[in-house]
Order: sequence, then C-alpha cells, then structure tokens
Amino acid sequence: MTTGTFVEVAPPSRPLAAGRAAPLPVRPGLFTRLVRAAPPYLYLAPGLVLLGVWTYRPLAQTLYLSFHSWNLAPTSPLTPVGTANYERLLATPELAASVGRTFVVILGMLPFTVLIPLAVALAARGVRGRAGAAYRGMVFAPMLVAPVAGAAAWQWLLDPSGGAVNSVLGTNTNWLNSTATAQWTIIVIAGWHVVGFAVLVVSAGLTGIDPEYAAAAKVDGASRGQITRWITLPLLSPTLSFLALMTVLLSAQWTFPLVDTLTQGGPDGSTTTVYYLLWEYGFRSHDAGLTAAAGMIFFAGFMLIAALLTRLADRAPREEGP
Amino acid sequence: MSGTTGSGPTGSGPGARTRIERAAGHAALGLLSLACLFPIYWIYATSLRAPGDVHDLSPLPWPLSLDNYADAFAKNDVAGMLLNTTIMATLSALGQLLVALPAAYAFAAWRFRGRRLAYLLFVGTWLVPFQVTMLPNYALLAQLGLLETLAGVVVPNLCSALGVLLLREHLMNFPRELLDAARMDGRSSWGTLWTVVVPVLRPALAALGILLFITAWNEYFWPAMVLQRSNSVIQLGLRSFMGTEGNDWGPLMATAGLASLPVLALYVFLQRHIVNAFVRSGLK
Repeated sequence: MTTGTFVEVAPPSRPLAAGRAAPLPVRPGLFTRLVRAAPPYLYLAPGLVLLGVWTYRPLAQTLYLSFHSWNLAPTSPLTPVGTANYERLLATPELAASVGRTFVVILGMLPFTVLIPLAVALAARGVRGRAGAAYRGMVFAPMLVAPVAGAAAWQWLLDPSGGAVNSVLGTNTNWLNSTATAQWTIIVIAGWHVVGFAVLVVSAGLTGIDPEYAAAAKVDGASRGQITRWITLPLLSPTLSFLALMTVLLSAQWTFPLVDTLTQGGPDGSTTTVYYLLWEYGFRSHDAGLTAAAGMIFFAGFMLIAALLTRLADRAPREEGP
Repeated sequence: MSGTTGSGPTGSGPGARTRIERAAGHAALGLLSLACLFPIYWIYATSLRAPGDVHDLSPLPWPLSLDNYADAFAKNDVAGMLLNTTIMATLSALGQLLVALPAAYAFAAWRFRGRRLAYLLFVGTWLVPFQVTMLPNYALLAQLGLLETLAGVVVPNLCSALGVLLLREHLMNFPRELLDAARMDGRSSWGTLWTVVVPVLRPALAALGILLFITAWNEYFWPAMVLQRSNSVIQLGLRSFMGTEGNDWGPLMATAGLASLPVLALYVFLQRHIVNAFVRSGLK
C-alpha cells in the first residue's frame, strides 16, 4: 500500500524479516491514515468534481432522459416511455440521412487532415531554417481564426454576385445555397481551418524519425521511393492514425459552427450532420427524449470507432516498426 | 544540405536533384501558404476599402478608409462585445490553469489508489461530445440561474482535460531531486507546489495559458447555447450580424477582422510558442 507517499518512489519495502522478529509498530489510527492519504485526492478534487458535474452526470442523465418524454420546461413532468424514443428515432429517415452525411464529412475531411499534409510535409522536408519557419507561421494561421470569422470571410469570398471566387472562375454559382455544392463547400472551409495544423503535426512526426534508418536503407541500395514507402511511412503511421482519429472525433465539431452560421443545415437538409440534427431536436423542437436517444446512439457509435482506431494505432508501429 | 555543390549542367547530378526537390518543397509550401492566408488577407483588405469600393476586387485596397470600422461600431456594440469576450477568455484560461495545475501535480507527485481511474476520467471527456451532454447541462444552468451570463459560459468549462494532461506530462519530467529536497526541508506539498514547481513550470504554464485563452476566445458551442438571447460575446455578435446585414460586406468584414485581431496579434508576437503549444497538444 503506497498511498500517501509524497513524491513518486518505488513502493516502500516493508522490512518483513524485522517485522516478524520485533513486534509490529502500532498501526496509526484511522484518522491519521486518512489525513496522510488525503493530499493527492484533495489536489484532484476540483477537477474531478467539475468533470462529474459537467461531463459524467449529464452523460448519465442523457441516458436516463432517452427513456423518457420531456419538453425541457422545468415545470413539466418527465414521463417514462420505455424505448419509444429509440423506435421513433430509428423510424425517421432524417437520422439515417444525417449519419450518412456525417460519414461524408469525415471522409471529405481526410484529404485535408491526412493526404495533403502528408504530401506537403514530405515535399517540404528539405525546406528548413528561416524560410521553413515563415511557411509554418503562415499555414498555421487559419487555425487561429475563429470559426465564425472564417465563415464570414468565406461567405464573402463565395458570394454569387461579386465574390472573389466566382469572379476569378467567371461563374455565378451559389456555392452555399445549392444542394450539390453546399456540403463540399462546408468541408473545404473546415479543411482550410485545419490543414496547416495537420501539416505541422506531420512535419513534427517526420522530424522525430531517426535518419539512421533511411541512411542504412540507402547503403543497401534502396531508392528514395522505396525508403519513403517502406521506412518513412510505417514509422509515421502513429502520427497519421492520430490525425485520422482526430478527424473522426472532431470533424463534426469543426463543421458545426460553419453549418450553424452559413447554411443552418440547408439547403433542403443537405448539410445536416448528426451534430446539427441533435442541436435542432434539442433547441428547435424541444424534444428532450428524442435528442437524448439520438445522443446515446451517437455516443455509442463514437466509442466504437474510437476504440477501433486506437487499436489500429497501437498495433501499427509494433507490426511494421524496427 | 549540399544543394549547391556538384550540380551538372544537364541537371542529372545529385546536387541538381536536391535543388529541384527543394524547389518543389518551396512550391508546395508556398501554394499552401497562399491558400491559407488569402481569406484572412481578404477580410482585412475588404474592411479597409472605402464603402463605395467594397465590391472592388483589386488585390490592394486603395484608397484606405476606416469607414467600415466606424460603421461596424455604430451598428453593433462591438467594443462591449470585445470587452466581454476578453473577460470571458481571460477568466476561462486562468480558471482552467488553477484547476489543471493541482490535478497534474497530484498525478506526478503521488502514487495513490484510483490513480489510473482518475486519469481515464480525464481522458474520457474527449469521447463525450458536447451535443450529447448539452440538454442536462442546459437544464442545470437554468436551475442555477446562469443562462445568459458570462459565468454560465466560463464555469462549465473550468476543467480542461487537455490542460491536466499536458501539465501532467511536463511534471512527469520534473526534476525529482527538487521535490525530494523540498520534502527534506520539511516543506508542505502545498508550499512545494507554489515555491518549487510553479517557478520551474512557468514557461509551460504561460504556453498553456495562451492556448486556453485562444480556445476560449474562439469558442462557439457554449456561448451559442448559454447566450441564446443576448449576443454579448463577439462570435455571437458576428453571427447575428451575418444573419441580419447579410450582404453589407464592408462592416461585416470589419467586425470579422476585429473578432480575429486579438488572437492574430498574439500570434504575430508569440508565433513559435503558440505553434509549439498547439502541435504539442495535438501530438499528445
């Protein structure tokens, strides 16, 4: 039992032999032991209490709500309805459509979070020093622009009458207002926000790879393409799977402010992802039970994908690493 | 980097190859930089044109004019919103640091029962999306009377799991001899935290503080949920401006420019630190 030792040390080895010969020292009272064990818990308490109140309590409550009917008004009663919310949810075509769109968003974001950053970071390996730092500073900047400000900028750039994009292309497409383009436009804007960040993450991953491996392979006569394919990429796979995991977990979060400010889920529902659907159920329809049920299904799906990706990420380097 | 040596006129030597590769790297980075910067540039370029020239697409705004900014301040309480956002982001960042530091200290300086469980509880918050917990949290904020207040935006986010985990990482590398020496001196753990740990950790705390400030400044979900009727922070003010004055691009870009300016200004001065803080947090 190592509770209460300030400064992490090897578990104190009880002098067993001595303990058998001499009578054991008097065990300190319960109170003293509690006081000695308390410090780490006291330091953790504010954080854990906040997590309990604002993350795990509401999670449990959402589970509870998903089996009830409630309209969010503090005075109105909660009526237990069994699994009716889930049945109602699975019967609505909106849910399936929004889940499909969420997958499209995630897949559409992958080029911006993995492919382009990988290509650029590989191409830019030789660019160092001041120039490299300047490029890094520039590509990272969109990450710092607030999503709403980015949305405003792009709304102006994409304006059908007089926006810079249409003027350059010589078109007058209403990018955000047509079902064919709205979803992709949102993806591109969200991609613009994060692509530079992803480039820096991949570059950091590349710098972390020991050049010895590539040098050894070169001595063995490997071509540059072979080195990239068989040495660099496998060693980079933890970084890449981290970016993929982040894309899965955060894509819908990144696009939410853009959808909320630019399209409100439209036109004709073509940009309504699961997140936006939850938001609408909750705060437009005031249907707490249905929102909670959708939230739980979504949460379960999320856990599953995250667990799967974490397992892949854990295995990759061991299988292919040095 | 031997790009300038041994290049043949035919371009077949290894040096020429390196040079071509480096040129390709510059081209890739240059194009990406342009794509990343142009929308930001365009916000400020449009906002600085004279109101009559807003639809002008010349790359350089000329003549310069601040009329759009005057218009933005006249149409909305931009100054008040910027002040509110500054207060909100500062309190968030400070509060998150004050909660995260002791928690990280507990992880680094003690072994205790439930250590792993506590760690998993912090990590687990990443798997719980905002939208799953929003209704119960909304109801609780309503009960506490915190709806439509800045406190309602700050309080629920006071525990930053990212902050705890990043500081924990820093503290794990903390020179153990210092902690041991402090204990030998008979210093309490609380005294050690403030007189030994914090001074050494100051750069990491500063970097994390900036990261948390920027995140809070740009935060959208919580303010959008808590402040549904009042647009007291700049992000929401900008949103409602987009909704009502949709095509009044000059003042809209001025407001968007002002909403991003504090963070971009911080970035110009602290570029390296901010990039490191973000990439580190990403690599976590």
